[in-house]
Amino acid sequence: MTVAPDPNQPPKIVVRGLTKRFRRGNEEFTALDPVDLDVAQGELVCLLGPSGCGKSTLLNLLAGFDEASGGTVHIDGEAVRTPDPRRVFVFQEYGIFPWATVRENIALGLRRRSESERHEIVERYIDLVGLRGFENSYPGEISGGMKQRVAVARALAVSPEVVFMDEPFGALDSLTRLSMRQELRRIWQLERLTIVLVTHDVDEALQLADRVVVMTSRPGRIAATIPVGLEHPREPLSPAYGTLRKQLFGLLGVVDGV
Amino acid sequence: MSTPALVTAVVAAAVIIASRGLRQRAQAVVLPIFTGILLFAVWHLLAQASWYELAMPGQPVRTIERFPTPGRVLPAFAELASDGRIFRYMIASLFRVATGFGLAALVGIPLGLYAGWSTRGGYAIDPYIAALRPISPIAWIPISVLAFGIKDEAAIFIIFMGAFFPIVTGAATAVRSMPIAYSRAAHNFGLRKWELLRFVVLPAAMPQIITSLRIALGIGWLVVVAAEMTAINSGLGFLVVDARNMGMRYDLVVAGMLVIGAIGVGLDWLVRRLERLDSVRWGFSKE
Repeated sequence: MTVAPDPNQPPKIVVRGLTKRFRRGNEEFTALDPVDLDVAQGELVCLLGPSGCGKSTLLNLLAGFDEASGGTVHIDGEAVRTPDPRRVFVFQEYGIFPWATVRENIALGLRRRSESERHEIVERYIDLVGLRGFENSYPGEISGGMKQRVAVARALAVSPEVVFMDEPFGALDSLTRLSMRQELRRIWQLERLTIVLVTHDVDEALQLADRVVVMTSRPGRIAATIPVGLEHPREPLSPAYGTLRKQLFGLLGVVDGV
Repeated sequence: MSTPALVTAVVAAAVIIASRGLRQRAQAVVLPIFTGILLFAVWHLLAQASWYELAMPGQPVRTIERFPTPGRVLPAFAELASDGRIFRYMIASLFRVATGFGLAALVGIPLGLYAGWSTRGGYAIDPYIAALRPISPIAWIPISVLAFGIKDEAAIFIIFMGAFFPIVTGAATAVRSMPIAYSRAAHNFGLRKWELLRFVVLPAAMPQIITSLRIALGIGWLVVVAAEMTAINSGLGFLVVDARNMGMRYDLVVAGMLVIGAIGVGLDWLVRRLERLDSVRWGFSKE
């Protein structure tokens, strides 16, 4: 089931002419050439590209962690300037706090809720991401996949409208990564979220995304936006999948196959 | 030359070499015991080698024992314990270290966190920390005595100066090396300034702060002895110089030194216990 963007609804995220330049010594270089992008409410968009294509830069700007050199980001018509609990970021590593238990990590964004409400939400998300039995463990005591589940649960616990994910499964082994993708699809449908996910993995993008935004480097820019009209579960051996896969590799300038 | 000591040394050395063939767990027990035996035997031999005979006209020949052997030091402990001196001096020294170190932590941790967190704080504080840090705390003794007189406060101030800088630097470095994802996550989830400090910056810096406390306490213990040797009339450092000055009692000197060493080990063990707390263990694992 793919959520078709409703043409009557304004897009959730509107990016116009967004650029980012850095100074390195005396040299100025462009991390992000002017970018335009719309993301619909409830859409799962993957930013796909090699290292240095500006995909993480773009994501940090969307989340309000960085200041743009030019252009604008609006979410629900409101200009993004600072991070906000309505749109949360899931980091690749180091996102969750090693000094706090699983339960304390998930409760991070719930400080201003009542005790009972906080408890109820935390327990619900512990169950949702399958961490029952590990609530009191420290991150150092659980596997990489479980840590990433904690990060996801912590993000969802604040009932965000938008979730940004920066290579969330990059540090995991390939089998765990696959099951985490299925998990993410399930949760995404359950919670009706808008997700922007950064990855350099073509298959990750193809298995997850409603739309893949392909980015290329020097300077970082959007090369193409490819809708993925395949039903879930997506079958990697189907001809339609194969065609899209070839197309994406082609756009990235890589020949698939060794 | 004492034959039993020589034989002991040789046997101990032989056991150490032969222990190579034992299982690791056995080695862990055998090696420390027999290196200890070897050390004491060598000490005994060296000390005895320093002894000489003194013949004065009209008097029987006397043996002058320049350096004490381990066997001479043992009764010295009993002597120090019997008049309670050793306990009074231990408490005096520990009190000074605890106070100086405690004050250094009380001032050093917040100041270090501030210098590490705030760019402005760093600009203002860093150069002066860097300039004062290389000055040996011992060099502060004259100033300290001038300011406080021959009193506890003088020793406490010197210990403070020795412990303060590692703590400030440790806390500041800890904050600066914190992964940016921690503070970003905190902002993202709506933590306010003080919550950020209390729930993110402080716990993130804690393992490194504990390491710097450990270094600082070690320095404090080194410094208290030096301070008591010159700036005060009690404590273990005073015991060591006083035993020499009042009658060349080198057995008491060495006994005092051994007590200082043992307490140092104990203090270090105490701080290392902190490393096992649930909320900081992550910073000490090898992974």
